[in-house]
Amino acid sequence: MAGSKTERGVSWEVRANGRHFHQSCRRKSVLCFRWGRYADNVVRSYKYTPLTFLPLNLYEQFQRAANLFFLLIVVLQCVPIIATIPWYSTMLPLLLVLLVRGFKDLATDVGRRRSDAQINHRPCDILTPEGFETVKWKDVRVGDILRIHKDKVIPADLLLLCSTEPHSLCYVETADIDGETNLKFRQALNVTHAELNGDSAKQNLGSFDGIVWCEEPNGNLHSFKGELHWKGERHLLDTDHLLLRGTVLRNTDTAYGLAIYTGSDSKILQNCGRLKLKKTRVEILLNKTVLVILLFMVTTTLLLAVGAGLFEYRVSHQYDVVSVLQRDSSPGYLGFLSFWGYIILLSPSMPMSLYITFEVIHMVHCFLIGRDLEMYWEDNDSPAQARTTTLNEELGQVGHLLSDKTGTLTQNRLLFRQCFIAGHIYGDMAGEFKPPDLSWNRFSCGGTKFSDQRLVDKLRERSSPECQEFFTALALCHTVMSEWRDGLPHYQAASPDEEALVCAARELGWVFLSRTRETLTISEMGLTRNYQLLAILDFTSKRRRMSVLVRDPGGQLKLYCKGADMVVLERLQGNWLLQESTERALELFAQGCLRTLCVAVRSVPETLWTEWSRALSQAGTATGNQDTALEDIYEQMEKDLTLLGVTAIEDRLQEGVPETIASLRRAGVKVWVLTGDKTETAVNVGYACKLMDPDTILIEGEELRQLLESPSPDVRLMSKEKEVWTTRAEKSKAALVISGPELAELTKTPEWGAKFVALSDQCQSVLCCRVTPAQKAEVVEMVRTHSTSITMAIGDGANDVNMIKTAHIGVGLCGVEGSQAVQNADFALAQFSFLRRLLLVHGHWSYYRVCILLRYFLYKTTAFALVHIWYSFYNGFSAQPMYESWFISLYSTMYTSLPIQCTGFFEQSIRLH
Amino acid sequence: MRFVGRTSHVCDVYYGRSIRKAEKLIQVRPCGERDRSNRMKNEGETTERPDNTAFTQQRLPAWQPILSAGIIIPGFLLIGLAFIGIGVGLFLTSQTIQVLERDYTGIAKDSPCFSCTIPNTPNCTCEITFALSELFKGPIFFYYGLSNYYQNFRKYGVSKDYNQLTGDTQYFKSPDNFCFPFDYDSKKNPIVPCGAIANSMFNDTFELYQIINGTKKQVPLDGKGISWWTDYNLKYRNPVLVDGSFAKAFNGTVKPINWPKPAYELDLTDQNNNGFLNQDFLVWMRRSALPDFRKLYRRITEGDYSGGLPAGNYSLTVHYNYPVMSFDGKKKVVFSNVSWMGGKNDFLGIAYLVVGSLCVVMSVVMLIVYAKFKFSDDDV
Repeated sequence: MAGSKTERGVSWEVRANGRHFHQSCRRKSVLCFRWGRYADNVVRSYKYTPLTFLPLNLYEQFQRAANLFFLLIVVLQCVPIIATIPWYSTMLPLLLVLLVRGFKDLATDVGRRRSDAQINHRPCDILTPEGFETVKWKDVRVGDILRIHKDKVIPADLLLLCSTEPHSLCYVETADIDGETNLKFRQALNVTHAELNGDSAKQNLGSFDGIVWCEEPNGNLHSFKGELHWKGERHLLDTDHLLLRGTVLRNTDTAYGLAIYTGSDSKILQNCGRLKLKKTRVEILLNKTVLVILLFMVTTTLLLAVGAGLFEYRVSHQYDVVSVLQRDSSPGYLGFLSFWGYIILLSPSMPMSLYITFEVIHMVHCFLIGRDLEMYWEDNDSPAQARTTTLNEELGQVGHLLSDKTGTLTQNRLLFRQCFIAGHIYGDMAGEFKPPDLSWNRFSCGGTKFSDQRLVDKLRERSSPECQEFFTALALCHTVMSEWRDGLPHYQAASPDEEALVCAARELGWVFLSRTRETLTISEMGLTRNYQLLAILDFTSKRRRMSVLVRDPGGQLKLYCKGADMVVLERLQGNWLLQESTERALELFAQGCLRTLCVAVRSVPETLWTEWSRALSQAGTATGNQDTALEDIYEQMEKDLTLLGVTAIEDRLQEGVPETIASLRRAGVKVWVLTGDKTETAVNVGYACKLMDPDTILIEGEELRQLLESPSPDVRLMSKEKEVWTTRAEKSKAALVISGPELAELTKTPEWGAKFVALSDQCQSVLCCRVTPAQKAEVVEMVRTHSTSITMAIGDGANDVNMIKTAHIGVGLCGVEGSQAVQNADFALAQFSFLRRLLLVHGHWSYYRVCILLRYFLYKTTAFALVHIWYSFYNGFSAQPMYESWFISLYSTMYTSLPIQCTGFFEQSIRLH
Repeated sequence: MRFVGRTSHVCDVYYGRSIRKAEKLIQVRPCGERDRSNRMKNEGETTERPDNTAFTQQRLPAWQPILSAGIIIPGFLLIGLAFIGIGVGLFLTSQTIQVLERDYTGIAKDSPCFSCTIPNTPNCTCEITFALSELFKGPIFFYYGLSNYYQNFRKYGVSKDYNQLTGDTQYFKSPDNFCFPFDYDSKKNPIVPCGAIANSMFNDTFELYQIINGTKKQVPLDGKGISWWTDYNLKYRNPVLVDGSFAKAFNGTVKPINWPKPAYELDLTDQNNNGFLNQDFLVWMRRSALPDFRKLYRRITEGDYSGGLPAGNYSLTVHYNYPVMSFDGKKKVVFSNVSWMGGKNDFLGIAYLVVGSLCVVMSVVMLIVYAKFKFSDDDV
């Protein structure tokens, strides 16, 4: 049995109510030795204990080459014969640096400890033989049964056993885990629900003796594999049965769960990777500079040592006074000693404090960015945030800005404006908006900007089945959760598109009322109908569509699908009607900068469904490539669709976007837009936000291909270019437009990337449409490799995470699409327009200041070294220091470090205007 | 909104915050509505609004000079003129300072001290004569100068024992290791004061006479206060008298090998000028920075000569003890008076003059350039 469990990948054993069993193999650790299997539920994010602080911190600090170098110097200074300057003149600066750094580390660690303690002392209820008892989070052990109340944070990864809701459903909010603000439901196994729930839940739970076998702890938040062995039966468990630590229980009175992973084993803590440090160019330059200084120093020292040997050999024996002092040593040996003596003497010229000064200045700059009132957005109370403290001066050097469109250039506050159903376009973009009379609809909340009396009339008269079907699809095909407040449904959606569509359907009478795991309830013009929910085929950025499979009250199986026009249109039944008018409508919508989604339906025969559901459940339990297997199965269902209509959603430009782009362009920053949207929409947005001038010429499709296909090398490319430019217009007035599929071809051949980037440098802008998140990252990578400029990627959604991570600097907008972008970004802003200040003000200042700092450090370093080199020629190369030893030690720590630090904080080359 | 996420890499730090934030939400959150901001504002709760201070908004007062032609050209002119003025003053002052230098090494066969350069001539004296055609104004400083002498050699420099020199008799018996090989004599007796510097102390002495009608009139030389105040009053101390005798404090020690007499006999006439506080000793112990140097020997401030040396013939008697021939060294005596700017130094005045004239020239050049291009500039 055990062997097969290992094969199935379930080797983690949890016995319910088995505190003693688990206690016996608790994980313990002393120093770096660890034994035992189950972690306790104590968060230990701190690094040091009182005992280990000193050795550990020193070890960390001496990993820096500069610190190690100075330690070496201090050691050398203990040899009296070569100690040219007293020990304290190196020791003091070194101690100062170590202390500052150590103190900073200590403060951070104390802060961590404090927040750890706060978390570890939260109360929660666990089941003991005497009943539920309130204990602290840190006392929760694997195998404990916990009671979670409404709106409480879940303390460990729990297997949901039952809840007070019907079917033991419960809702959790995962905002703190993945940033998605919609509620998700979790459901207990039917067997535990049936056996454990009820009035005597306490007794039932107390006698619950199931054993859970599941995977070893891992950080994959969206998968879980396990089985529950109880009463001789085996029940499969998946991620739907799991309540993750850090999520919040909502809309559910009480839920009971079995702790499976605690503390550092829990999924969220397993997820904590290391901070990836990005190195800036200036930093790399700085490292090189330090290396050059070191080389220079060693070479000089070598030459001086040779000088000392020569002096000894040629001159010194004439001087009784001096030669007697040399204790009859050979010139070679004296030269050797002199070498080390000079290494010590010239060591203050190594910029030891440079690194710490650099760090402090970066921190202050980040602080100033975070405190800038002009980058504070009142609407969602978010100031700018510098999440990475090392990239400030890069901001001033950005050459390519790669921006997402939706939510970044636009507000991502979506409004349903138009739709296309059965050959008619409803809704009016032009003209004044008159709110339609929706008083007949008791569920109407207002807030839409859609008005078309024709459509309303048609719906009310029920004269158009297409329209009814269309809105039924809108009301059914989504993952929105509803919540009742004041007799009205309020919706929580993962994506704003869905919310806009469901709200629009609600306003027009197709009200989504509630959902359970197996049913969807909607009200169609006041008539409440229950649909049985058979399957949800999720939306992914790769599939770019989602579907629901429902059984309508009449017993018919129907698949409603909505998605990007490209994917949906290619899955329609052959020879669909209205092809021409649909395409015209799509084009029209795109010209109006509207986002379109196609809605389609398919009647599913019962036999197909049974067959398909079997395949689905098999894929669900299959090991290995589950995702692709699922995708294949979904693919089988989502075909032969019938188009119901097209929705058009308006997404307005954010405030100040055109001005920002214009000033960025004036500053020489190339702005590229990467979007998943259609070419037409992207181009229109491009014009709207001044990315391109009205008379800009677009180079796209075949023409672009020609340009790029010109059979290399660069000379030919240039000549070809000129041809095109001369035949078309002057060259600065052009923009490249490329779509995802074209781009995929482009990236296949490596040399095209260079050409494309070279070509783009001649153009005003580049628009990449219809690109997938992975392609966005590829584009960023392409710009990074083929140009020397710093790239910056800005985006707001999970689909931008790739590109944000790939770029030199990633900026996340705290938009409506969750916080994934922000979490992966180096800087977080609330508005696109703040970019202007971030780049052109803070970036410029930072760059300027850091450069001053670097130059000054070089200057003071050479000043110190040169004086001593010069002096050596007058004192027989005897490594006689020119200055008093205290002056030397204070020279590097105070005199030449504090003033420049202030300059580094405050210098402004240009005042604001 | 901006805390833990699936792909977050900093959650070991942020995790705590995330949960606290979550709790904060629970307290105030009526139910799931996306628009958190309004709620936050309404409750008047912790807003993240940055403070509007001069520091955080980077509006600290600053001065940003705009260097326009109207400031720069007259500025350069003024600075140039000021420098020229200073330079002229310095140069003229330097010209008034009288300096008299006489090399007495005795390398040339016909030089008066040639006989003393032959090794092993004890108590050799020689006489150097010079004539003053006009009054050498007082107060006059009397220096001896050595060249090609590496008093700045590092090992020479550290070859002394500060503990001995502060009069701590404990260290008289065990000189610092840095003094080697001048710490013990051949019979293992400790040397006080030990070290190369003390051992190599300059020991030529001079007497100055004015020759009036063939008779020599001695010029009184003042040896008080020629060392640094800190050396005499703080850094160097004599040992405490033992049984009322200064010499007994040095019991069990020997004098430096090259010295003719022990430290406690450097000046038997004046106890305040004896031992480690002897002015000549202090002057020698204060090492020179460069291999060509001069050190103050005496001042001429007393008696008939307080106003300076009148015109006439003078003779300087040198008690020639210090050997420099082995390393091609030179010895000299220097008489000089001083002004408000110190000793004679033509370079400083010339440097000021050069920089000043450069400034003036630059201002003229800029004026020409400005006059030529001003209008096109102003149009823009």
